[in-house]
Amino acid sequence: MRRLVIFLPVAILALLLSCLASWAGSENAEPIRIGVLAPLSGPFASGGSAFLQAVTLAAEQANSQGGVLGRHVDLVVADTQGRVDIARSEALRLTSQEKVFALVGAYLSEETVGVIEVAAASRSVLVVPVAATAEITDHVRKKYERYRYIFRVGYSIPQWAGMVADFLGGLRIARYAYVGAGIRWNRELAKALRQALARKGIVPVYETFYSPRNPAFEAVAVAVMARSPEVLVLGDPGGNSVEFVKRVREGGALFPILSVGGALGDARVAATLPLSAPLYAQAAAWKGASAAATRYAEAFERRYGYPPVGYSDTLPYDAAMLLFSAIRAAGRTDSDAVVTALENGAFPAVAGTYRFDTSHQATWGTPELHGIVIRWETEGARIVYPDSQAR
Amino acid sequence: MHPFAQVLLDGIFTGSTYALMAAGLALILGVVKVVNLSHGAFFSLGAYVAYLLSVQGVSHPAVAVVLAGVIAFAFGVFLGKSFINPVRSHPFSVAVGSLGFAILFEQAAQMLWGPHPVSIGAGPPWAAVSGIFVRRWGAVSLAASVGILAALALFLSSRWGLPLKLIAEDEEIAESAGMDVEKIRYLTFGFASATAAAAGALLAPATSITPTMGRVPLILSLIVVIASGMENVLAIFLLAVGLGLLSNISAYLLAPQWSYVSLLTVICLLLLLRPEGLFGTVPGRDY
Repeated sequence: MRRLVIFLPVAILALLLSCLASWAGSENAEPIRIGVLAPLSGPFASGGSAFLQAVTLAAEQANSQGGVLGRHVDLVVADTQGRVDIARSEALRLTSQEKVFALVGAYLSEETVGVIEVAAASRSVLVVPVAATAEITDHVRKKYERYRYIFRVGYSIPQWAGMVADFLGGLRIARYAYVGAGIRWNRELAKALRQALARKGIVPVYETFYSPRNPAFEAVAVAVMARSPEVLVLGDPGGNSVEFVKRVREGGALFPILSVGGALGDARVAATLPLSAPLYAQAAAWKGASAAATRYAEAFERRYGYPPVGYSDTLPYDAAMLLFSAIRAAGRTDSDAVVTALENGAFPAVAGTYRFDTSHQATWGTPELHGIVIRWETEGARIVYPDSQAR
Repeated sequence: MHPFAQVLLDGIFTGSTYALMAAGLALILGVVKVVNLSHGAFFSLGAYVAYLLSVQGVSHPAVAVVLAGVIAFAFGVFLGKSFINPVRSHPFSVAVGSLGFAILFEQAAQMLWGPHPVSIGAGPPWAAVSGIFVRRWGAVSLAASVGILAALALFLSSRWGLPLKLIAEDEEIAESAGMDVEKIRYLTFGFASATAAAAGALLAPATSITPTMGRVPLILSLIVVIASGMENVLAIFLLAVGLGLLSNISAYLLAPQWSYVSLLTVICLLLLLRPEGLFGTVPGRDY
C-alpha cells in the first residue's frame, strides 16, 4: 500500500510531463511558413524563377540541417507576374490567409513598394533581396515604428552606383554611355551613376532607355557608337541586354561593355557572345571570391545544372539565410524579436557579412560586403573587381 | 561611320523582319479568315529548335529552318484541324483560343528549357561598306522575306494558287467548284505556321531566345497585315519596311520610347484614313 502511495503520484506526474512534452513537441514541430513573392510568369519570369531557385535552395539546406529552431521551413510561393496590384494582393493573401511568418520579396521596385505596405500593416518581417529603389528604406528611416519590419539585403541604388563608379574610376576613363530598360530602377540607377561619376570627372555622352515592347536596338546601338564612349554601361538585367550586345558588336563597336548583371552574367549566354572587346558583368558574389561564394555556386550548379549569375539567384538565398539566422538568434518566431536580431546582428552569408544601418539597408560597399565585377574571357569568367580579389 | 545611313539600312532590315512574320499571318487572315494570336509562339518554337540543334553541334541554319518548318507545319495542321476549323465562325473564340495556345507554348517552353534567356553565337558583321556595317542577320532577314514573299506572290498568281484565291474571295463558290475548303484551310494554317517557325530559326542567332520572344514580332506583323491589307504581297513588304524605317529613325532622332509611339500613331492615322488597309480594295456595292 505504501509503495502504491509513492508510485501513484510519480506515475501521474510522469504522465502529465509526457503529455506536456508531447504538446510542446507538436507545437515545435509546426513548420515555419515563409512567403516568397516573385514574378514567375510575364516579362520578368526569368529573374523571378532564379529568385525562387535561390530561396528554395536556402530552405532545402536549412531543412537538411534540422530546420530552424528544430522546425521545418515551408515556402509558400506567390507569382506576382511583375505587376504591382498582383504583388500587393498576393502579399495580403500570404499574410492573412496563408499565415506566413515572414516574407521574402518582391522582385521589382514597383512591386516591392506595394508589398511593404502589407508587411507593415500585418507586422510581418519582409526581407527584400533585389529591389533597389530608395523608397523602400526611406520609409523605414522616416516612419520607423510602422516600417521597422522591412530590411533590404540587396544593394540600394546609391550603393550600386557607388560600386559601378568605383570600378569605372579604376579604368581611368572620361566618357561613358548608359543604356537601360525603361523601368524605374534603371532610370534611378542612371541618375545616381551620373552623380557618382561626376565626382570622378567622368561624364555621360549618351543616356537612353528602351521599351521592351519595341526596343529598336539597332538605332540605339548606332546612337551609342556615334558618341564614341569609352565604356558602355548596360543597365538592363534581362534577355534584351543579350540582343543589344549582339547589335553593338555586330556594328563593329569595340568599346568595353559593363553589364549591371543578370542575363549577361550567365556563362551559357556569355559563351555565345563575341569577346572582341571587354565584356564585364557585375555580381553580388561570384565563385572564387570567397569560400562561401564557391560553396554556394557549386551547390547551385549541382542542384540546377548550371552556375548562378550571382545576383537574382544569389541575393534571395542570402535574404532567406539571414532571416533563418535572425529567427535562430531571436529564439522564437516573433516579428519584433526577429527585427531586433536583424538590427543588432552581423550575418555571414554568400556575398559577405551583412549588417544593417538605421534605415535597415545592408551596408554594401564595405570591405566585408562589396560587389564583384567579372570579365568574360574565352576560358570563362575572371574577377577584376575589387582589386583585392582580382585574379 | 555614317550614323544616319546606318540607321536607314538597319530600318530596312528591321522592317524585313516584320514582313517575314507578316507573310504567314496574311495567308491565315486571307484564307482561313481568323486572327491567329499563336503565330508568335511558332516564331519562338523555331528559335528553340535552332538553339537545341546548336547545343547538339548542328549550327547550319538550313537544317534548323527545315526542321523547325516541318515541326511547326505538323503542329499548325493539328491546331488548324482540331481547333481553328471547328470554331472559326466565332472570331472571339479563335482569338482567345489561339492566345491560349501561345501562352500554353510559353509555359511549356519555360518548363522544358527554363525561363532564362539562351543564345546562339551571331558571328561577326557580314561586311562594312564605306563605314556602314551590313548586319549579317539583317541581310539574311531581308533576303528571306523577299524570297518568301516573292514565292508567295508567284504561287498565288499560278494555277496552284487559284484555290487559295478563290477561297479568300468566296468560300461557297470554291466549295461548289468541288474544292476541299476545310483541308485547304488547315494546310494553309500549317504552312503559315511553318514560315513563322522558319523565320524564328533563321533569326535566332541575332536575338536572345526566351519563351515570350514571339510577342513583339506578332504584334508588329499583325499591325503590318491589317494596315496594308492582305491581298497585296508587295504592299505588305513595302509597309513593313516603311514601319521599320520609321521605328528606327524615331528611336535615333528622338528616343527609343518614341519608336513604338510614332509607329502606332502612323498606323492609327492610316486606319482612320484607309480602314480597308493602305493597299486594300474597297468592296463594291452590290445594290
